[in-house]
Amino acid sequence: MGLLDILSVGSSGLRTRRVRAALSVLGITIGVAALVGILGLSQSGSADLMKDLDALGTNLLTVQAGDGFRSQQASLSSDAAAMINRITPVYEVSATTKIAGGVFLNDLIQDGRTKGITIVAADLNLLRTQRGSLKSGKFLDEMTSEYPFVVLGSVAAERLGIRNTSGNHKIWLKEKWFMVIGILEPLPLAADLDRSAIIGYPAAEKFLEIDEPPEIIYVRAYPEHIRDVRSIMAATVSPENPEEVQVGRASDVLEARIAASDAFLNLFIGLGAVALLVGTIGIANVMVIAVIERRNEIGLRRALGATKFHIASQFLTESLLLSTLGGITGVIMGMLVTAGYAVFREWSIVIPVYAISGGILCSILIGGIAGFYPAMRAANVSPTEALRTR
Amino acid sequence: MVNIENRSSEYALELQEINKVYEGPPIVKALSDVSLTVNHGELLGIIGSSGSGKTTLLHIMGTLSTPSSGSISIDGTNVVGMSDKQLSGVRSRKIGFVFQEFFLLPGFSALENVANGLLYSGIPSEERMERAFEMLRTVGLGERGDHLPNELSGGEQQRVAVARALVHKPSFVLADEPTGNLDSENTASLMALLTTLNEGGTTVILITHDLEVAKSAQRRITLRDGRVDSDLSR
Ligand SMILES: Nc1ncnc2c1ncn2[C@@H]1O[C@H](COP(=O)(O)OP(=O)(O)OP(=O)(O)O)[C@@H](O)[C@H]1O
Ligand SMILES: [Mg+2]
Repeated sequence: MGLLDILSVGSSGLRTRRVRAALSVLGITIGVAALVGILGLSQSGSADLMKDLDALGTNLLTVQAGDGFRSQQASLSSDAAAMINRITPVYEVSATTKIAGGVFLNDLIQDGRTKGITIVAADLNLLRTQRGSLKSGKFLDEMTSEYPFVVLGSVAAERLGIRNTSGNHKIWLKEKWFMVIGILEPLPLAADLDRSAIIGYPAAEKFLEIDEPPEIIYVRAYPEHIRDVRSIMAATVSPENPEEVQVGRASDVLEARIAASDAFLNLFIGLGAVALLVGTIGIANVMVIAVIERRNEIGLRRALGATKFHIASQFLTESLLLSTLGGITGVIMGMLVTAGYAVFREWSIVIPVYAISGGILCSILIGGIAGFYPAMRAANVSPTEALRTR
Repeated sequence: MVNIENRSSEYALELQEINKVYEGPPIVKALSDVSLTVNHGELLGIIGSSGSGKTTLLHIMGTLSTPSSGSISIDGTNVVGMSDKQLSGVRSRKIGFVFQEFFLLPGFSALENVANGLLYSGIPSEERMERAFEMLRTVGLGERGDHLPNELSGGEQQRVAVARALVHKPSFVLADEPTGNLDSENTASLMALLTTLNEGGTTVILITHDLEVAKSAQRRITLRDGRVDSDLSR
């Protein structure tokens, strides 16, 4: 018997019982689809997170005043930035200060709804510190920071309905007109800034009459020294009350998200595995029934000269075909789900080859396991017993 | 010197002192000391009442079950003690079966069902189909090759089964109540077919409890309680 004969004989039982074949394969399909989908999605998702993390660096510290033992909210001293700059491995320091006040599209509608946009005064190197980029226009520079110019965070611009800087949009910012000269792309390391309208310290002083100490200072230090820098940061900023200074690593949030998505991944791999187990039992069950139902066929084939091996390979082939069919449809479904979701989330589509080949291999293995016992049983039915009708 | 290549000097089938005991409980002695020989080209009818051991004998003749004692030779070769694989080989080359229930495979066309008679004999697919088509024509169903079993009448289905049993040119055909599921008209035409095939040289061993059917056979063996009661030739 050639391979074609084996496939033809092995598929005959499926061809005559299509609905049952399709149903029995569902468990494998769902299990494989879940695994491929989850592996694909987590890859697409955490691939983006990892890419972010690589690009953004893990060496950005945020320094801010925490709750002190004093009842009042503590604040950083105005020369905090300068003091941080003196730490040798630090190579970039950028201060920001939140300014109370509303931001509106014009001076007519001021019903107290601020659209949740905060005004932030910032140093000129803020964008560099964040390794951020501009969607449109420019960031503040020596000149523009002296005048009523504003750069909008990505969310702030969206809420104000400003898409680009070509229209010379003016916004009503704390009762003053400011011109929008730049719009930022999202800043994953400082999501707060996405919802802010950023102006220069000189402009804040000149037009809003605000001169407050920095609130959050962003610090870049050489990655190999980041631990050391972090450990001396509080004492550097506030020698008397170091416990009032909060120092954080901006990338921790991203890493937590990666860890969370890994935990999620493991959970779903577990669920997929359970679906596969159920699918295996389903196929084994259908095969046992097939062997019982097709006793006469077994007897006939033995009379025609089939050996035990022929009979076993027929049922094993049938089981392998079933499970592989389930595996292939599962892989296709999983890929479609992944692609669909990745497109929806604007992720890059990453379907790892090991998910596809693993899904198929897994289903073949399952077919072998599920089909083994029924095939042995079929092979060992005595021909005379199998030919008996009842 | 005996020329062992000369088939005509051998029996198609030779049974010596065959006993078959089904180890119960209860223990059933289905065959007792059955000895008989079948020549090439014979049409042998085996008759006997229900439970007399006809099917048991047929299964032993067809190597589907082994006797408790005794020896069987097919075309001069002793098959007792052969492995399951060797016996399968003997069946695929030497023996054709026709069953009361036809046993055509439902998903396969008439032509494919006939070709299945060659499936385990190592013949390539194309030749199987050609020979199956020839055989189907011989049994008068050349036009019905594409039909599925459930598109054929009972009589036609049994003709397809006969074609399947003959397609590998076996040494003999074993037919167990082949007319058992047919009406009288189809019984007559199936018997006519078997007689014609026998006249063409095919050895046929026909098991039946229908005396009318057995009349077609030149030689009749009667079984009673697992023993050969009579062996009569016309
Ligand atoms: N597998 C078995 N185990 C035990 N006893 C069996 C078995 N097969 C057949 N027998 C017994 O052996 C005897 C002969 O049975 P067999 O089937 O050969 O009869 P038969 O002549 O073919 O009858 P029928 O005309 O009804 O088909 C019967 O008594 C039967 O009950
Ligand atoms: Mg019987």
